Amino acid sequence: MIRERMLIPMVMVCAVAVIAPGLAAPLEAQDKKFKVGFVYVGPKDDYGYNYEHDRGRKAVEAQLKDVEVMTAENIPETAEVERVMEQMIQRGAKLLFPTSYGYLDPALNVGKRHPDVVLLHAGGFKHSSNVGTYWYYIYNPMYLSGLAAGKVTKKNVMGFVAAHPIPQTLQNINALTYGARSVNPQIKTHVIYTGEWCNPGKAAEAANSLIELGADIISQHQDCPRPVVETAAKRGVYSVGYHSADLKQFNEKGWITGAAWNWGKLYVQMTKDVMDGKASQWVGKHTRGGIESGFLDLAPFGSSVPADVQKMVMAKRKEIVDGKYAVFQGPIKDNKGKELLKAGEKPTFDFIEKMSWYAEGVVGEVPK
Amino acid sequence: MLGLLYAVVGGGIRAGTPILYATLGEVIAERAGIVNLGVEGAILAGACAGFITTAHTQNPWLGIAAAALAGGAASLVHAFMVVTLRANQIASGLALMFLCLGVTSFVGRPYVAVKINAVPQLAIPGLSDIPVVGGLFFQHDALVYGAYLLAPLIWIVLTFTKWGLALRAVGERPDVAFAAGLSPAAIQYAAVVAGGILAGLAGAHLSLAYARSWVEGMSNGRGFIAVALVIFATWHPLRSVVGALVFGAVFALQLQIQARGVALSPYFLDMTPYLLTLAGLLLWGRTRRYAMPEALKSVFEGVT
Amino acid sequence: MVALARVIDSRVLVQLRLLGMAGLAFVVVGAFLVLFGKNPLLAYAEIFRGALGTSYGASEVIVRAIPLMLCAVATALPARMGLVNVGPEGQLHAGALAVTWGALTFGALPRPVFLPALVALGLLGGAIGAFVPALLRVKVGVNETISTLLLNYVIVLLVEHMVRGPWKDPMSFNWPYTPEFPDAARLSTYWGTRIHAGLWFALAAILLFYFTLRFTRWGYELRVIGDNPEAAGRAGIPIGRYTLLAMSIGGALAGLAGMAEICAIQGRLRPGISTGFGYTGFLVSWLALHHPLGIVVMAILLGVLSVGGDSIQISLGLPYATVNIITSLIFFIVLGSRFRRRATA
Repeated sequence: MIRERMLIPMVMVCAVAVIAPGLAAPLEAQDKKFKVGFVYVGPKDDYGYNYEHDRGRKAVEAQLKDVEVMTAENIPETAEVERVMEQMIQRGAKLLFPTSYGYLDPALNVGKRHPDVVLLHAGGFKHSSNVGTYWYYIYNPMYLSGLAAGKVTKKNVMGFVAAHPIPQTLQNINALTYGARSVNPQIKTHVIYTGEWCNPGKAAEAANSLIELGADIISQHQDCPRPVVETAAKRGVYSVGYHSADLKQFNEKGWITGAAWNWGKLYVQMTKDVMDGKASQWVGKHTRGGIESGFLDLAPFGSSVPADVQKMVMAKRKEIVDGKYAVFQGPIKDNKGKELLKAGEKPTFDFIEKMSWYAEGVVGEVPK
Repeated sequence: MLGLLYAVVGGGIRAGTPILYATLGEVIAERAGIVNLGVEGAILAGACAGFITTAHTQNPWLGIAAAALAGGAASLVHAFMVVTLRANQIASGLALMFLCLGVTSFVGRPYVAVKINAVPQLAIPGLSDIPVVGGLFFQHDALVYGAYLLAPLIWIVLTFTKWGLALRAVGERPDVAFAAGLSPAAIQYAAVVAGGILAGLAGAHLSLAYARSWVEGMSNGRGFIAVALVIFATWHPLRSVVGALVFGAVFALQLQIQARGVALSPYFLDMTPYLLTLAGLLLWGRTRRYAMPEALKSVFEGVT
Repeated sequence: MVALARVIDSRVLVQLRLLGMAGLAFVVVGAFLVLFGKNPLLAYAEIFRGALGTSYGASEVIVRAIPLMLCAVATALPARMGLVNVGPEGQLHAGALAVTWGALTFGALPRPVFLPALVALGLLGGAIGAFVPALLRVKVGVNETISTLLLNYVIVLLVEHMVRGPWKDPMSFNWPYTPEFPDAARLSTYWGTRIHAGLWFALAAILLFYFTLRFTRWGYELRVIGDNPEAAGRAGIPIGRYTLLAMSIGGALAGLAGMAEICAIQGRLRPGISTGFGYTGFLVSWLALHHPLGIVVMAILLGVLSVGGDSIQISLGLPYATVNIITSLIFFIVLGSRFRRRATA
C-alpha cells in the first residue's frame, strides 16, 4: 500500500515534467521553409494508390530543397481528415494534397476556413477559390492494357476487383473492356465491388471468386492491389496492374501490363507554382489530362505478351498521345443497348466525369 | 447453377479457414469459462508476427510458428488479466484488441512493402486429381487442411481425454473442479493461451497464405465473427466447422452474386451470419443440451 | 456532511489515483518507444502540445469527448444494475439511421421544429436499438452481452446498405453517402470550432445520470438490483421493467451521440461516422468505474490521446497506432488494479 502511494505522485510529477515543456514550446517551427502536407487514406507502402502518391511526395522532397513535407497515412475519409489537415495548417502548411477521393468535402470545408492555404484534390468534381482538382485519365493506359489482355486471354473472361462504383472506376472498367473487345469481341468482364479502398482478405477472395467464374485476366481499381495480384499468381492467371508498375514482381509469370502513375513531376511543378505565387494556375478549376502529360503511362509488358502484340499496343498508344484516337467517342452504347453517344459525337466533360454506366461486354449493372 | 455451387463451396472453405481457427480457439477458451473478445487482437498479432518472421527468414513455416507464438502471447495478457487479476472479461478482451491493433501497426509498419515467400499450395497427390471434388477439397494450402483436421482433433480431446474433461469441469463448475483437486487457474490459463495460438494461426493464414501481404488492421472483424460463431456452434468444435463454412459460403456467395451481375445488396447477405446466431440464441437459448458452459454465465450476467 | 466527505474520499480520490495510474502506461510505452529507437519524451511532448497546446487542438479534444461521454453513459447506466451493454456502437448507428430518415423525409420544416424532432428521432432510434436486446433478455433469456455485440454488426451493415442504396445522394456519382442535410437540420457549432451543441447533451446526460442514481428512488432501486438481484427481486422490485428502461435510456443516449455526429460534424449519413466511439465509450465507462465524473475525465483523456495521435504522426512520423498502445495499457492497468475491485465490489 505504501509503495502504491509513493508511486502515484511520482508518476504524476513525471507526467507534468513531460507535458509542461510541450505546452510551453510554440507549435510552429521557426524556420522559413515552405511547408507542404500530404494526406493518405491507406498505408504509404501499399504498392497502390497511396504508394504512388508517396513516390510523388518523395520527388518533391528530393528536388525542392527549401520545402518541408509532412505526411499522414491511414486517415479515414470522414470528418477525421479535416482535423488532420487543420493540424498540418497549424504547423505552417501552405499547400495540402488531400489525395483520396472521399477527402473532397473535408478539403472544401478546410479551404473555406483558411483562404490563405491552397488545397489540391486528386480527382474531385467540385472546386473553390483556393481548392483545385487534378486528375489524369488513367483509363487510357487501361484501354491499352485491354488490347494486350484481349490478345493474351484463353478463356475470354476478365475479372475486375473494384472498391467503389465511382466514375473513375467505371471509366477504367469500360476502357479495359473496350480495349479487349476491339481485338477479341468474345470478351466478357465481371466486376466485384469490395466497398472498401483496402480490405486485403476481401480483395483476395474477390479475385478468387472471379477466377472461379472462369476469368483468366484479373484487373482492379482499389488501393491495396497486392493481394489481388498475388492471388492471380497463386492461381496461375494473368494480371493487368493498376496504380503501380512495381506490382509486376508479384506475378512475374502472368504479368501482362497495366496502368501506372508517375506523380512526381506534377507535384514538383504544383509546389513550385504555389511557392512562386502562381497558385491560380491550379485552384478554382479542374485540371485534366492524359498520357501526353507524362504523369501516367502504360506499365512495362510482361513476358506473356508476344512482341507483335506489344508493337500493336504501342502504336495505339502513339495514336492516343498524338490525339488521333480517343477511347470514349461516339457511337457509344451501354450494356443494355441504350445509345449514349451518336456516331461521331464527342463526349462532354460531364459525360466522362459523371460516368455511371457499363460498356457492352461488362456483365450486370452499376449498383444503385 | 452447378458452377455457382462449386464456387461457393470452394470460396467457403477458403474464407472459412481463418474464421475456423479463431472459432476453435474461442471454443476452447469458453469451454474453460473464459470469454476472449481479444481474438481479433490475437489474429492481428499472429498475422503480423508471422509476416515479419517470414520476411526475415523467407521460410513461411517459421512464420506460422511465430504467428502461433504471438497469438498465444497476446492471449496470455488476457489470461493474466482475467484469471489472476479477475478483471472483467469483456472489457479486458476489448482492451487486448486495442493493444494488438496498436502494437502490430507500430511494429509491422516497416514491413508493409516487403515481399514474402508465401505458404505454398499443396495439392494432395491422388485425391486432387479426382474431377470436381479434387479441385474443391484437395488443392489448398497446408493451413486449410490443418484447420479442418484440427476440428475433430479438438473435439476428441475435449470429449474423451482426461485434459478435456478437466477443462470442461472448470468451465462448468470451477468450485467442484477445485474440490476434485484440479487447478482451475492453471487450466484456464492453458485454455486461453491455446485459444490464442489458434487465433495466431488464423492470422498466419490471412497474411501468409490468403492475402500474402501485411496491412494494419487486416483481420477486419474476423475475431468478432468467431465470437459470434462460437455461440452459433453452441460451444462445439464440430459444429464450429459448420458455422465457419456457412459464414465463408455466405461471404463467397455475396461476391459470386455480384460478379454474375445480379442486383442484390451484398450488405443484407453480410448480415445473415449475425442474424443466424441471434436466431440460434432464441431457439436454443433454453434448451439444456445447447446451454453455454455454466462459468460463462457469470461473465454474461455481468456479475464479476 | 460525513456522508459527503465519504463520497469525496471514495470517489474523487479513486478517480485521482486512477489518473495517476494512467501515468504508468506512459512509462511502459516510453520503454517500448526507446526499444524502437524513438524518443518518448519528444513523442509525449508532441501529443500534449498538439492536443492542448493550441486552442484548435483543445477544441478537437472536446469534439472527440462528446460521443465518448454519451456512449460511456449508455454503458454505465445499465452496468449499474449489472447489465453489460456492448452495443453503444450499434445504438449510435441506429440513432443516426432514424435521424437520417427524418432529415431526408421532412427537409422543409423550420429549424425550431425540425431540430428537436431530429433529437427525438435520435433518442428513439438508439432506444429501439437497445430495447430489442433488453426485450430478448427479459422475455427469452437471451444474454444482452452477446445480442448487443451481434446487433452492432447488423445495424452498421444496415447503414452501409442505406447509404449505398436507397439513400444514396444522386449527385455523389455512386460515392456512398446521403444528400447533405438542410441547414435547418444542422446543430449549432461554437467559437469558430467544431465544438457543437452535442456538448450540452453530453453534459446533461452526465448530470442526469449522477442525480438520478444518487437522489431518486428509481436510481436507488437500480443500484439495489446491481448489488443483489435476488434480494431486489424478493423485495418486489420489477427487474424486467428496470432492464428494459435502463437499456433503452442508455441506447437513447448513444443514439443521441449518433444524431450529434451526423447533424453537427458530418452533415450527412455516411459509412464511418463513428471511429469506434461505441467500443471506446464502453471502455471509458469501465475505466471510470461507471461513475459520472470519471467518465468526463476519461473521455477527455482519450480525446487528448486521439488528437495527439495525429500530431505525432504529422510532426514525428510516428504511427497513430502509438496512442492506441497507450490507451490500451491504461485500460489494462486500471482494469487490473485493486481500486476497481474495491470500488465495484
